Amino acid sequence: MAGQNGNSATETGVPDVMQMWRSWLGETERQLNSFFGEVVGTEQFARVSGNFVDGYAVVQRALNDNMERYLNTFNLPTHSDVVELGERLNNIEERIASLESTVRAVAEQAGIQASAPVTQLRPRRTRKPRPQN
Amino acid sequence: MATVRQPRVETIIETAQEEAQRTQERIRKGIDILLARDEPPVGVTPKDVIYSRGTLRLYHYRPMTDEVYRVPVVFVMSLVSKPWILDLTHGQSFVEYMLTQGFDVFMIDWGIPRPEDKKLQFEDYVNDLMPDCFKHVQQATGEEEFSILGYCMGGMLALMYAGLNPDAPLKNLVCAATPVDMNGMGLFKNWQDPRYFDVDRLVDTVGNIPPEMMLRSFELLRPMDRWGGYIRLIDNLWDPQFVYGFRIMYKWTNEQIPFPGETYRQFTKELMWDNKLMTNSLTLAGKRVDLQAIKVPVLHAMAEHDHIAPFASTKPLTDLVGSEDKEDVILKGGHVSLVAGKNAVARLWPKVADWLSHRSV
Repeated sequence: MAGQNGNSATETGVPDVMQMWRSWLGETERQLNSFFGEVVGTEQFARVSGNFVDGYAVVQRALNDNMERYLNTFNLPTHSDVVELGERLNNIEERIASLESTVRAVAEQAGIQASAPVTQLRPRRTRKPRPQN
Repeated sequence: MATVRQPRVETIIETAQEEAQRTQERIRKGIDILLARDEPPVGVTPKDVIYSRGTLRLYHYRPMTDEVYRVPVVFVMSLVSKPWILDLTHGQSFVEYMLTQGFDVFMIDWGIPRPEDKKLQFEDYVNDLMPDCFKHVQQATGEEEFSILGYCMGGMLALMYAGLNPDAPLKNLVCAATPVDMNGMGLFKNWQDPRYFDVDRLVDTVGNIPPEMMLRSFELLRPMDRWGGYIRLIDNLWDPQFVYGFRIMYKWTNEQIPFPGETYRQFTKELMWDNKLMTNSLTLAGKRVDLQAIKVPVLHAMAEHDHIAPFASTKPLTDLVGSEDKEDVILKGGHVSLVAGKNAVARLWPKVADWLSHRSV
């Protein structure tokens, strides 16, 4: 803890080494962040990172294509197959949800009440704010 | 003349004993962290899933008061962060706070995008999923009107919804750390320079932007934060409160989620490059998002030292909307501390609760 005069001395007069270390760490972190911030904020870095992302995309594309080819060769499901299955499942879920909604609406019109979940035990909506000063 | 007092033997022994105890705690807590033992629970405020669609979950939090304000509040989360940042833990939960203040709280959790969700665009979120959720909020509450509270990109989605639907039964709009002027996005703007960044190639190749890429880009904003954090952790491993806070923030920072591909493409081209939100020229499904048409009361909270949504990018929001009743709240702190943590408890939460309380009857 800093002393009253702002130095790092403890009550016994011994410098608080740990506090000095913490202050140094905080300041170093701040300065390094600032330095790296300037570096990554340059146009050169933007060009480098753009090239990196392009390179990553090229490699990833090659991996994707090769994996599709190998899996097809061994008659195994590919990533595309799984994604397509997912899309079809999604469509089925959407249709079921739509059907449920229709059935619920028809039931409500017919006066049939579904069991209410806890959150439909509605509290009174009559709260008033505290008066403004 | 000042005299230097020599340390007493007893003091040295006490200090040594204290350090020995702390070292023991450091070892014990260090093992817990390495083995991921006793992870702090998050998102614990009791809730029910009242609607789900794909990965989307609409939560209705269980009221904590017998009487609530008439108008419910719907928290709209960002697409790229876990929602429990607003519901950290008991005593440190924005959601819980709002419940204790008498609000009826809902939350739209977009979930973790699946590979097939790469086709989702802003139109899907704003014109389909959000209205669907609001319909279920109306059914659950019996109230037509609702307020929206959007954090970061959630605020952007809320703005888009409000700008497209000026006649919607939206009562109030609260945004927190919501960027609108992408020219103020600092390093993100630099890295997505259209001369060097081929967003089409990236999205066409990977579909959803991988969470690792999201994580590294956030880390690059302040590269030393991770290592400084580790060193501070070792220094403070004996302090259970420090370790608890560190583990929660570490978990949130590192649990990134994929960014849906087509939304990312739109975000880059129409927002980052063309700054269409700022110029009020964004169109979704052929219809203009007219921020000037937003007339509901608007509260926008911003963090002065936000390094993710820099102050320069968030500041113009209230100038863009057509509301008469609008207010800026500028607080010290960063992107996360604005809404979570001790400063949020003392500053933002009471402000939002008070502001909404007078506009939710």
